[in-house]
Amino acid sequence: MRYVIAGSWVALAMAAAGCVACSGERDASPPPSTRVADPGDVIDQGLMVALAQAKNFHHKAKVYMSDGNQVAAITAVRQILSLHFPRGAAEADDVRNDARALLAKLLVSQGQLDEAARTIDEGLAQSQRESFFVANLYTVQGEIHEARAAAFDATGDAGKASAVDERHQAIGSYDRSIQINERLQQKLLEDR
Amino acid sequence: MATQDDDTLTGVVPDADIEPTPAELAHARRFAELVDKTLAGRTPPAMSADDRALLEVATVIRATHGSLELAPSRQRAVVEDALRQAIGASAAGPGAVTPIARARRWQRAPWLVAATTTLVAAAAVLMLWLRPPGSGGHAHIAPVPEEWTSRPTDALVGPIAREHAGDASTRIDTIFADRLDGFRARRLARGARP
Repeated sequence: MRYVIAGSWVALAMAAAGCVACSGERDASPPPSTRVADPGDVIDQGLMVALAQAKNFHHKAKVYMSDGNQVAAITAVRQILSLHFPRGAAEADDVRNDARALLAKLLVSQGQLDEAARTIDEGLAQSQRESFFVANLYTVQGEIHEARAAAFDATGDAGKASAVDERHQAIGSYDRSIQINERLQQKLLEDR
Repeated sequence: MATQDDDTLTGVVPDADIEPTPAELAHARRFAELVDKTLAGRTPPAMSADDRALLEVATVIRATHGSLELAPSRQRAVVEDALRQAIGASAAGPGAVTPIARARRWQRAPWLVAATTTLVAAAAVLMLWLRPPGSGGHAHIAPVPEEWTSRPTDALVGPIAREHAGDASTRIDTIFADRLDGFRARRLARGARP
Protein backbone atom coordinates (compact mmCIF):
# COMPACT_ATOMS: atom_id res chain seq x y z
CA MET A 1 0.00 0.00 0.00
CA ARG A 2 2.81 2.37 0.85
CA TYR A 3 4.36 1.67 -2.53
CA VAL A 4 1.11 2.50 -4.26
CA ILE A 5 0.90 5.85 -2.43
CA ALA A 6 4.55 6.64 -3.15
CA GLY A 7 4.01 5.75 -6.80
CA SER A 8 1.05 8.08 -6.89
CA TRP A 9 3.17 10.95 -5.59
CA VAL A 10 5.89 10.27 -8.13
CA ALA A 11 3.35 10.20 -10.94
CA LEU A 12 1.80 13.42 -9.66
CA ALA A 13 5.22 15.08 -9.59
CA MET A 14 5.89 13.95 -13.17
CA ALA A 15 2.55 15.30 -14.27
CA ALA A 16 3.21 18.61 -12.55
CA ALA A 17 6.63 18.87 -14.17
CA GLY A 18 5.12 18.14 -17.56
CA CYS A 19 2.45 20.79 -17.06
CA VAL A 20 5.03 23.35 -15.94
CA ALA A 21 7.10 22.59 -19.04
CA CYS A 22 4.06 22.92 -21.29
CA SER A 23 2.97 26.17 -19.68
CA GLY A 24 6.55 27.43 -19.93
CA GLU A 25 6.35 26.88 -23.68
CA ARG A 26 3.19 28.91 -23.87
CA ASP A 27 4.74 31.66 -21.77
CA ALA A 28 7.63 31.94 -24.25
CA SER A 29 5.74 34.74 -26.00
CA PRO A 30 6.25 37.60 -26.52
CA PRO A 31 9.35 36.64 -28.46
CA PRO A 32 12.66 38.22 -27.54
CA SER A 33 13.90 40.86 -29.93
CA THR A 34 17.34 39.32 -30.20
CA ARG A 35 18.62 35.81 -29.83
CA VAL A 36 21.53 34.77 -27.72
CA ALA A 37 24.27 34.88 -30.31
CA ASP A 38 26.96 32.28 -30.63
CA PRO A 39 30.28 33.57 -29.35
CA GLY A 40 31.86 33.03 -32.75
CA ASP A 41 29.51 35.09 -34.88
CA VAL A 42 29.39 38.42 -33.07
CA ILE A 43 31.96 41.15 -32.69
CA ASP A 44 33.43 40.53 -29.29
CA GLN A 45 36.24 41.95 -27.24
CA GLY A 46 38.71 39.40 -28.59
CA LEU A 47 38.12 40.50 -32.17
CA MET A 48 38.39 44.19 -31.28
CA VAL A 49 41.67 43.60 -29.44
CA ALA A 50 43.12 41.72 -32.42
CA LEU A 51 42.01 44.43 -34.85
CA ALA A 52 43.41 47.16 -32.62
CA GLN A 53 46.78 45.38 -32.46
CA ALA A 54 46.84 44.95 -36.24
CA LYS A 55 46.05 48.65 -36.60
CA ASN A 56 48.91 49.59 -34.28
CA PHE A 57 51.44 47.36 -36.05
CA HIS A 58 50.43 48.83 -39.40
CA HIS A 59 50.92 52.35 -38.07
CA LYS A 60 54.23 51.36 -36.58
CA ALA A 61 55.32 49.92 -39.94
CA LYS A 62 54.16 53.10 -41.66
CA VAL A 63 56.30 55.21 -39.39
CA TYR A 64 59.31 52.97 -40.04
CA MET A 65 58.68 53.16 -43.80
CA SER A 66 58.45 56.97 -43.71
CA ASP A 67 61.73 56.91 -41.82
CA GLY A 68 63.28 54.69 -44.48
CA ASN A 69 63.68 51.73 -42.09
CA GLN A 70 62.25 48.98 -44.26
CA VAL A 71 63.68 46.13 -42.16
CA ALA A 72 61.93 47.35 -39.02
CA ALA A 73 58.77 47.88 -41.05
CA ILE A 74 58.94 44.26 -42.25
CA THR A 75 59.33 43.09 -38.65
CA ALA A 76 56.30 45.11 -37.57
CA VAL A 77 54.16 43.74 -40.38
CA ARG A 78 55.27 40.16 -39.65
CA GLN A 79 53.90 40.56 -36.13
CA ILE A 80 50.42 41.04 -37.57
CA LEU A 81 50.59 37.51 -38.97
CA SER A 82 51.04 36.05 -35.50
CA LEU A 83 48.10 37.87 -33.93
CA HIS A 84 45.46 35.70 -32.29
CA PHE A 85 41.95 36.25 -33.65
CA PRO A 86 38.81 34.61 -32.26
CA ARG A 87 38.09 31.29 -33.93
CA GLY A 88 35.93 31.68 -37.03
CA ALA A 89 36.35 35.46 -37.28
CA ALA A 90 36.12 36.30 -40.99
CA GLU A 91 38.12 39.49 -40.45
CA ALA A 92 41.18 37.44 -39.54
CA ASP A 93 41.69 36.18 -43.11
CA ASP A 94 41.26 39.65 -44.56
CA VAL A 95 43.66 41.35 -42.12
CA ARG A 96 46.34 38.67 -42.55
CA ASN A 97 46.08 38.70 -46.35
CA ASP A 98 46.38 42.47 -46.39
CA ALA A 99 49.43 42.24 -44.13
CA ARG A 100 50.95 39.60 -46.44
CA ALA A 101 50.41 41.84 -49.44
CA LEU A 102 52.19 44.73 -47.72
CA LEU A 103 54.94 42.43 -46.43
CA ALA A 104 55.53 41.04 -49.93
CA LYS A 105 55.81 44.56 -51.36
CA LEU A 106 58.29 45.50 -48.64
CA LEU A 107 60.33 42.35 -49.39
CA VAL A 108 60.28 43.18 -53.11
CA SER A 109 61.58 46.65 -52.29
CA GLN A 110 64.41 44.91 -50.43
CA GLY A 111 65.14 42.65 -53.41
CA GLN A 112 63.95 39.53 -51.55
CA LEU A 113 61.79 38.26 -54.40
CA ASP A 114 61.76 34.59 -53.40
CA GLU A 115 60.74 35.45 -49.83
CA ALA A 116 58.07 37.76 -51.19
CA ALA A 117 56.73 35.01 -53.49
CA ARG A 118 56.68 32.55 -50.56
CA THR A 119 54.74 35.04 -48.44
CA ILE A 120 52.12 35.38 -51.17
CA ASP A 121 51.90 31.61 -51.77
CA GLU A 122 51.33 30.98 -48.06
CA GLY A 123 48.56 33.55 -47.98
CA LEU A 124 46.83 32.02 -51.00
CA ALA A 125 47.15 28.53 -49.54
CA GLN A 126 45.68 29.54 -46.19
CA SER A 127 42.77 31.58 -47.53
CA GLN A 128 39.39 30.06 -46.79
CA ARG A 129 37.42 32.01 -49.41
CA GLU A 130 37.72 34.43 -52.30
CA SER A 131 37.95 38.08 -51.27
CA PHE A 132 39.27 41.40 -52.48
CA PHE A 133 42.29 40.72 -50.28
CA VAL A 134 42.97 37.45 -52.09
CA ALA A 135 42.65 39.33 -55.36
CA ASN A 136 45.17 41.82 -53.99
CA LEU A 137 47.55 38.96 -53.22
CA TYR A 138 47.38 37.93 -56.89
CA THR A 139 48.03 41.55 -57.83
CA VAL A 140 51.17 41.62 -55.70
CA GLN A 141 52.10 38.20 -57.06
CA GLY A 142 51.96 39.74 -60.54
CA GLU A 143 54.23 42.56 -59.36
CA ILE A 144 56.72 40.00 -58.05
CA HIS A 145 56.73 38.24 -61.43
CA GLU A 146 57.30 41.63 -63.10
CA ALA A 147 60.17 42.33 -60.72
CA ARG A 148 61.71 38.94 -61.60
CA ALA A 149 61.27 39.65 -65.31
CA ALA A 150 63.09 42.93 -64.84
CA ALA A 151 65.85 41.11 -62.98
CA PHE A 152 66.20 38.59 -65.84
CA ASP A 153 66.21 41.44 -68.36
CA ALA A 154 69.13 42.94 -66.48
CA THR A 155 71.18 39.80 -67.05
CA GLY A 156 71.17 40.38 -70.81
CA ASP A 157 70.28 37.92 -73.54
CA ALA A 158 70.68 34.89 -71.27
CA GLY A 159 67.71 35.89 -69.17
CA LYS A 160 65.39 36.97 -71.98
CA ALA A 161 63.39 33.71 -72.10
CA SER A 162 62.96 33.66 -68.33
CA ALA A 163 61.91 37.29 -68.39
CA VAL A 164 59.24 36.52 -70.98
CA ASP A 165 58.06 33.57 -68.90
CA GLU A 166 57.86 35.74 -65.78
CA ARG A 167 55.85 38.35 -67.63
CA HIS A 168 53.41 35.68 -68.78
CA GLN A 169 53.04 34.54 -65.21
CA ALA A 170 52.51 38.13 -64.14
CA ILE A 171 49.70 38.46 -66.65
CA GLY A 172 48.20 35.24 -65.33
CA SER A 173 48.28 36.59 -61.79
CA TYR A 174 46.69 39.90 -62.79
CA ASP A 175 44.00 38.01 -64.68
CA ARG A 176 43.13 35.94 -61.64
CA SER A 177 42.99 39.07 -59.55
CA ILE A 178 40.65 40.71 -62.05
CA GLN A 179 38.41 37.62 -62.21
CA ILE A 180 38.07 37.45 -58.45
CA ASN A 181 37.29 41.15 -58.25
CA GLU A 182 34.61 40.80 -60.92
CA ARG A 183 32.97 37.82 -59.24
CA LEU A 184 32.93 39.51 -55.87
CA GLN A 185 31.58 42.78 -57.20
CA GLN A 186 28.84 40.89 -59.04
CA LYS A 187 28.00 39.04 -55.83
CA LEU A 188 27.90 42.25 -53.80
CA LEU A 189 25.57 43.81 -56.35
CA GLU A 190 23.26 40.80 -56.15
CA ASP A 191 23.23 40.91 -52.37
CA ARG A 192 22.09 44.53 -52.29
CA MET B 1 -1.82 -34.21 49.29
CA ALA B 2 -1.93 -35.68 45.81
CA THR B 3 -5.01 -37.57 44.76
CA GLN B 4 -5.49 -40.05 41.96
CA ASP B 5 -7.27 -37.33 40.00
CA ASP B 6 -4.22 -35.23 40.16
CA ASP B 7 -2.24 -38.02 38.52
CA THR B 8 -4.50 -38.26 35.47
CA LEU B 9 -1.95 -36.74 33.10
CA THR B 10 1.26 -37.75 34.79
CA GLY B 11 0.31 -41.18 36.18
CA VAL B 12 0.62 -44.57 34.55
CA VAL B 13 -1.66 -45.04 31.53
CA PRO B 14 -4.03 -47.95 32.36
CA ASP B 15 -4.47 -50.79 29.91
CA ALA B 16 -7.39 -50.32 27.54
CA ASP B 17 -8.80 -53.82 28.32
CA ILE B 18 -8.97 -53.26 32.05
CA GLU B 19 -12.36 -52.29 33.40
CA PRO B 20 -12.43 -48.72 34.75
CA THR B 21 -12.53 -48.34 38.46
CA PRO B 22 -15.47 -46.55 40.08
CA ALA B 23 -13.19 -43.63 40.82
CA GLU B 24 -12.22 -43.37 37.18
CA LEU B 25 -15.85 -43.52 36.09
CA ALA B 26 -16.74 -40.82 38.57
CA HIS B 27 -13.88 -38.67 37.29
CA ALA B 28 -15.01 -39.24 33.72
CA ARG B 29 -18.57 -38.21 34.52
CA ARG B 30 -17.39 -35.13 36.35
CA PHE B 31 -15.12 -34.15 33.43
CA ALA B 32 -17.98 -34.71 30.96
CA GLU B 33 -20.14 -32.35 33.00
CA LEU B 34 -17.27 -29.85 33.02
CA VAL B 35 -17.01 -30.01 29.21
CA ASP B 36 -20.78 -29.54 28.85
CA LYS B 37 -20.70 -26.51 31.12
CA THR B 38 -17.80 -25.02 29.18
CA LEU B 39 -19.60 -25.45 25.84
CA ALA B 40 -22.64 -23.81 27.36
CA GLY B 41 -20.52 -20.86 28.39
CA ARG B 42 -20.61 -21.67 32.07
CA THR B 43 -16.99 -22.56 32.68
CA PRO B 44 -16.37 -22.92 36.42
CA PRO B 45 -13.95 -20.35 37.78
CA ALA B 46 -11.83 -22.92 39.57
CA MET B 47 -10.69 -26.37 38.53
CA SER B 48 -7.62 -28.51 38.86
CA ALA B 49 -4.65 -28.00 36.54
CA ASP B 50 -5.18 -31.39 34.92
CA ASP B 51 -8.86 -30.68 34.32
CA ARG B 52 -7.99 -27.29 32.78
CA ALA B 53 -5.41 -28.91 30.49
CA LEU B 54 -7.83 -31.65 29.44
CA LEU B 55 -10.55 -29.08 28.92
CA GLU B 56 -8.32 -27.03 26.59
CA VAL B 57 -7.46 -30.17 24.61
CA ALA B 58 -11.15 -31.03 24.33
CA THR B 59 -11.98 -27.51 23.14
CA VAL B 60 -9.26 -27.62 20.48
CA ILE B 61 -10.38 -31.05 19.28
CA ARG B 62 -13.96 -29.82 18.98
CA ALA B 63 -12.90 -26.66 17.13
CA THR B 64 -10.83 -28.62 14.62
CA HIS B 65 -13.82 -30.76 13.81
CA GLY B 66 -15.67 -27.60 12.72
CA SER B 67 -18.44 -27.93 15.14
CA LEU B 68 -17.46 -24.71 16.93
CA GLU B 69 -19.21 -21.67 15.42
CA LEU B 70 -19.16 -18.00 16.35
CA ALA B 71 -22.29 -16.00 16.66
CA PRO B 72 -23.24 -14.26 13.32
CA SER B 73 -22.61 -10.78 14.73
CA ARG B 74 -19.22 -11.83 16.05
CA GLN B 75 -18.32 -13.48 12.73
CA ARG B 76 -19.19 -10.27 10.83
CA ALA B 77 -17.18 -8.16 13.25
CA VAL B 78 -14.12 -10.38 12.87
CA VAL B 79 -14.30 -10.30 9.04
CA GLU B 80 -14.80 -6.52 8.92
CA ASP B 81 -11.90 -6.07 11.30
CA ALA B 82 -9.65 -8.20 9.10
CA LEU B 83 -10.67 -6.24 5.99
CA ARG B 84 -9.96 -2.95 7.73
CA GLN B 85 -6.49 -4.10 8.58
CA ALA B 86 -6.01 -5.24 5.00
CA ILE B 87 -6.64 -1.72 3.62
CA GLY B 88 -4.39 -0.11 6.17
CA ALA B 89 -6.90 1.28 8.63
CA SER B 90 -6.68 0.52 12.32
CA ALA B 91 -8.78 -2.26 13.57
CA ALA B 92 -12.07 -1.09 14.95
CA GLY B 93 -13.86 -2.25 17.93
CA PRO B 94 -16.82 -4.52 17.60
CA GLY B 95 -19.19 -1.55 17.70
CA ALA B 96 -17.62 0.32 14.74
CA VAL B 97 -17.95 -2.06 11.84
CA THR B 98 -17.56 -0.72 8.26
CA PRO B 99 -19.77 -2.34 5.65
CA ILE B 100 -17.79 -4.64 3.34
CA ALA B 101 -18.97 -2.88 0.14
CA ARG B 102 -17.77 0.53 1.35
CA ALA B 103 -14.45 -0.90 2.49
CA ARG B 104 -13.88 -2.42 -0.94
CA ARG B 105 -14.49 0.98 -2.57
CA TRP B 106 -11.85 2.63 -0.38
CA GLN B 107 -9.48 -0.24 -1.02
CA ARG B 108 -9.45 0.64 -4.73
CA ALA B 109 -8.95 4.38 -4.22
CA PRO B 110 -5.11 4.44 -4.11
CA TRP B 111 -4.94 2.36 -7.26
CA LEU B 112 -7.32 4.73 -9.02
CA VAL B 113 -5.23 7.75 -7.95
CA ALA B 114 -2.02 6.05 -9.05
CA ALA B 115 -3.46 5.07 -12.43
CA THR B 116 -4.87 8.55 -13.08
CA THR B 117 -1.70 10.43 -12.16
CA THR B 118 0.42 8.01 -14.18
CA LEU B 119 -1.78 8.61 -17.21
CA VAL B 120 -1.50 12.39 -16.81
CA ALA B 121 2.28 12.14 -16.43
CA ALA B 122 2.56 9.91 -19.49
CA ALA B 123 0.44 12.36 -21.48
CA ALA B 124 2.65 15.28 -20.45
CA VAL B 125 5.82 13.40 -21.37
CA LEU B 126 4.31 12.44 -24.71
CA MET B 127 3.38 16.05 -25.41
CA LEU B 128 6.95 17.16 -24.74
CA TRP B 129 8.36 14.36 -26.83
CA LEU B 130 6.04 14.64 -29.80
CA ARG B 131 5.85 18.43 -30.05
CA PRO B 132 6.82 19.67 -33.49
CA PRO B 133 10.39 20.90 -33.91
CA GLY B 134 10.80 24.63 -33.85
CA SER B 135 7.78 25.11 -31.58
CA GLY B 136 10.06 26.06 -28.68
CA GLY B 137 10.87 29.45 -27.29
CA HIS B 138 13.22 30.29 -30.15
CA ALA B 139 10.56 30.06 -32.87
CA HIS B 140 10.09 33.81 -33.25
CA ILE B 141 13.60 34.94 -32.58
CA ALA B 142 14.88 37.87 -34.56
CA PRO B 143 18.31 37.52 -36.13
CA VAL B 144 21.28 39.37 -34.77
CA PRO B 145 21.76 42.68 -36.59
CA GLU B 146 24.40 42.27 -39.27
CA GLU B 147 26.51 45.13 -37.96
CA TRP B 148 26.98 43.20 -34.70
CA THR B 149 28.43 40.19 -36.42
CA SER B 150 31.91 39.18 -37.39
CA ARG B 151 31.87 38.98 -41.19
CA PRO B 152 34.04 39.43 -44.30
CA THR B 153 35.14 42.99 -44.94
CA ASP B 154 34.79 42.89 -48.74
CA ALA B 155 31.69 45.06 -48.79
CA LEU B 156 33.42 47.59 -46.55
CA VAL B 157 36.75 47.77 -48.39
CA GLY B 158 35.74 47.10 -51.98
CA PRO B 159 38.11 46.16 -54.81
CA ILE B 160 41.73 47.06 -54.10
CA ALA B 161 43.35 48.96 -56.94
CA ARG B 162 46.91 48.04 -57.86
CA GLU B 163 48.25 51.44 -56.85
CA HIS B 164 46.72 50.89 -53.39
CA ALA B 165 47.87 47.30 -52.97
CA GLY B 166 50.16 48.31 -50.11
CA ASP B 167 47.75 50.64 -48.32
CA ALA B 168 46.90 48.10 -45.69
CA SER B 169 47.22 50.72 -42.98
CA THR B 170 44.33 52.74 -44.42
CA ARG B 171 42.17 49.64 -44.79
CA ILE B 172 42.77 48.40 -41.26
CA ASP B 173 41.68 51.82 -39.99
CA THR B 174 38.43 51.48 -41.93
CA ILE B 175 37.84 47.92 -40.74
CA PHE B 176 38.59 48.76 -37.12
CA ALA B 177 36.30 51.80 -37.11
CA ASP B 178 33.42 49.84 -38.62
CA ARG B 179 33.73 46.91 -36.25
CA LEU B 180 34.06 49.25 -33.29
CA ASP B 181 30.71 50.77 -34.22
CA GLY B 182 29.11 47.33 -34.26
CA PHE B 183 30.76 46.34 -31.01
CA ARG B 184 29.53 49.50 -29.27
CA ALA B 185 26.03 49.13 -30.67
CA ARG B 186 25.86 45.57 -29.39
CA ARG B 187 27.13 46.57 -25.97
CA LEU B 188 24.64 49.42 -25.70
CA ALA B 189 21.78 47.14 -26.73
CA ARG B 190 22.81 44.59 -24.11
CA GLY B 191 23.00 47.17 -21.34
CA ALA B 192 26.74 47.81 -21.58
CA ARG B 193 27.57 44.16 -20.99
CA PRO B 194 30.36 42.76 -23.20
